[in-house]
Amino acid sequence: MNRSRTLTWIVVSLSILALMLAACAPQAETVGEAEPAAEEAAAAPTEAPAEESEDMSMEPIKIGALAPLSAPGAVVGGEAMREAMLIAAEELNNRGGIMGRPVELIIVDTEGLPERGTAVVERLINQDGVVGIGGGYHSSVGVAAKEVARDNGVPIVFAETWNDTITSVQYDEIFRIAPLSSEVSAVDVKFIQWLRDENGMKLEKVVILTENTDYGIPAAENTTALLDGAGIASVTFSVDIGTQDFAGIIERVKAESPDMIVTLATGEASYNFTQQAADAGIGPQNVPTMCNQVSLVSDAFWTNVPDGNHCFVRRIGLPQQLYNDVAQALVAEYSARTGKDDIESYAMASYDSIMLIAQAIEDSGSTDPSDIIDALENINHMGALGPITFPINRSNTPDQAGVDPKWWHQFPDPAITIVQYQVEGQDATETTVVYPEIYQTGAPIIVGQE
Amino acid sequence: MENAAIFGWALLWILFWGALGGVVTPRIYARKDLEISQASFGGAVIGAALGPLSLVPLWIATPKITSRLIGIAIAIVVGIFIVAFALADPDNLCVANGGFVISQLANGIVIGVIYGLMALGLTLIFSILGVVSFAHGEFYMIGGMVTYFMTAEWIPGVSPIVAILASCVVTFAIGYVFERIFLRPMGSGEIERPTEYAILVTFGLAFFLQYFTQALTSAVPVKAQRFFPFPSLELPGDSGAFLRMTPGNVTIFDAISVPNPRFTAAVLALLMLAALLWFLYRTWVGKALRAVSQDRQAAAVTGINPDSMNTLAFSMGAMLAGLSGASLVQVFSWLPQVGIPAAARSFVIIVLGGMGSLPGAFLGGLIVGLVEAAGTGCIPDATRAAAYIPAYGMVILTLVLLLKPTGLFGREL
Repeated sequence: MNRSRTLTWIVVSLSILALMLAACAPQAETVGEAEPAAEEAAAAPTEAPAEESEDMSMEPIKIGALAPLSAPGAVVGGEAMREAMLIAAEELNNRGGIMGRPVELIIVDTEGLPERGTAVVERLINQDGVVGIGGGYHSSVGVAAKEVARDNGVPIVFAETWNDTITSVQYDEIFRIAPLSSEVSAVDVKFIQWLRDENGMKLEKVVILTENTDYGIPAAENTTALLDGAGIASVTFSVDIGTQDFAGIIERVKAESPDMIVTLATGEASYNFTQQAADAGIGPQNVPTMCNQVSLVSDAFWTNVPDGNHCFVRRIGLPQQLYNDVAQALVAEYSARTGKDDIESYAMASYDSIMLIAQAIEDSGSTDPSDIIDALENINHMGALGPITFPINRSNTPDQAGVDPKWWHQFPDPAITIVQYQVEGQDATETTVVYPEIYQTGAPIIVGQE
Repeated sequence: MENAAIFGWALLWILFWGALGGVVTPRIYARKDLEISQASFGGAVIGAALGPLSLVPLWIATPKITSRLIGIAIAIVVGIFIVAFALADPDNLCVANGGFVISQLANGIVIGVIYGLMALGLTLIFSILGVVSFAHGEFYMIGGMVTYFMTAEWIPGVSPIVAILASCVVTFAIGYVFERIFLRPMGSGEIERPTEYAILVTFGLAFFLQYFTQALTSAVPVKAQRFFPFPSLELPGDSGAFLRMTPGNVTIFDAISVPNPRFTAAVLALLMLAALLWFLYRTWVGKALRAVSQDRQAAAVTGINPDSMNTLAFSMGAMLAGLSGASLVQVFSWLPQVGIPAAARSFVIIVLGGMGSLPGAFLGGLIVGLVEAAGTGCIPDATRAAAYIPAYGMVILTLVLLLKPTGLFGREL
């Protein structure tokens, strides 16, 4: 009798809790599950032409989408990507869908963890039946997910996974519109050299803070090698993804007396490190610091790193003044939804990744993944990032083209600029572009130089 | 490491004689019909300290192995370890830079105090209810959330003290309600398998709190501003500044530096600890709580209601976790998953200190804080030093459990 009363209590309480959660669903980033509310919104043909309304009642074409929506992943990045991909799906449906069929976007949470990424991609393909997958933020997720895509023959267009091996393994199914990690490192080091050679900055030693992931370790190795080639010494400290406490490492960084600090850690770890370094007197206002690109989410950056002024931040994609029509329309919609003045590069790339898959389906006239892969290889898509192609492919292999295998199915032209926060509380859209000089809107402020 | 062989041989010496002492000593004491509860642990540390020079006299004289003897042996082992490390790597910052060492120690103590406070709540719950609360990290998270949202969103400009008190009230209330509804039936024998039930129900609470909070607030990281920024000042000394303060940092002798958020968090933790000790040792209710933790039936005979003590202990444990989260929300970025590593660390600490032991939890917190600081600062390979942070506490825990399965201050079962 007593036990049954307890059970009743538990059941009643759980029911109340479940109802409360359900009531919050529209605000929630459903973890590890497709978002019913979001999917419905994405799939609903709001203003489809009358003649297409019949076709739009057909079975939807399912497209998968990867984003880190909970820790230890870079949630700030994941939420921005999610919003941009929802815009893409909505736009497709407003146009009448793909081949007259509605688009259903299924967004899954990778948590920034490879094992989670493998599981959700497996689920997207074998349970949900998606014909292609876009998005993706963390390289370690990309490295793991590409194997599932290959095993199942379903294409993935990665939006923000930089690890070179993702494309260098030359899988037919894997495409990427994010930059290569080694190319980003090259830009970083060219910028550092430029600070030294053209701006008279003392630059003898750089400290690199990286994360123990498939992005962080190779990126740090590339950067170290390139710095070495430029005659600049470097020391690398690596931490686990999601690390909170940097006190011990910061004391070691201080003891190295670096002329510059480069942060390759992502997500809230990058915020924690930068602010804790600032508290210890070696923050961006004391030592020139390259912060991680999540710092471009201005609201979150200033909330978490109030002493982050003068951070240099790498920005992928063209400066706002060079946005094409697609990018401008996307920014307008994105701003209306999020209240932000600009769109993050990874959000822009995520939008393009969904649109690329959609165009590939249209071009091939088929939802067969192998046909979509053929179409992607030959695609010429005007995206928010600019005209996107994959010139190194099965008909023009890296060997034939005489290029490194990393360029396989790789968008060759993502622009990379370095911007700097020069006013406390500044919005990311108002940051000064300091490098390269062709896009420069102002001179860099170099702190801590005697 | 220049002379790795020296360090390697020293470690081998410690491990070999420690293992021999740990295995042989209890047998010798048992053969002589002596008390063996400390024989394994004591034999291991005494052997590790001086090898045959200490083991042979120990085995012949078989003195009573006191805490003092063990303490001296541990100090010698630590000394050998440090000397071997210094000889092996003379250029290491932990050897060559005194200011660095003191800064690391200060950081270790500061974070250790906060770990200790967090673990105190968990061990308080275990000592009274016999339940390991898997929702402890979520109470930590709720404490941080209430403090952040009160100071930054709901009532901007409100004193952080008010926000911290509010977080204490909220976590206490959640703990109270949860205990009354879900854990009270355990005490009255209504649950057939209470251990499994407690694990499941606290796990359920953890998931609920985490995802419900995420639904309410999103998972974007936030951080509270410094609670009490230092004034900017500089007191000159004979050579350089004796004391230099900026809003975010205090530096003494241009060498020892402690960031403001950690300093204020540690002070808050110490104040709360003092209040807790006063409550437990100087008030009737506190004494009643301790009585229940020692002998539930005997306490009931004296008129103490064990069920009420259960509720109070769980609520206070939740509040202590909430207080830790509240004081650290100015140090670490907050998000709904922020309690997971904190809870994992608390489990390590309470097992290390001895399940249910309040002094053990606090000392365990300090040990973990110091070991993490030492490991991060002294491991020569910069690419690995911080990556091993979660492992440092586990290494110490494993060693202690090997030698003393009940933990440092745990009761024999």
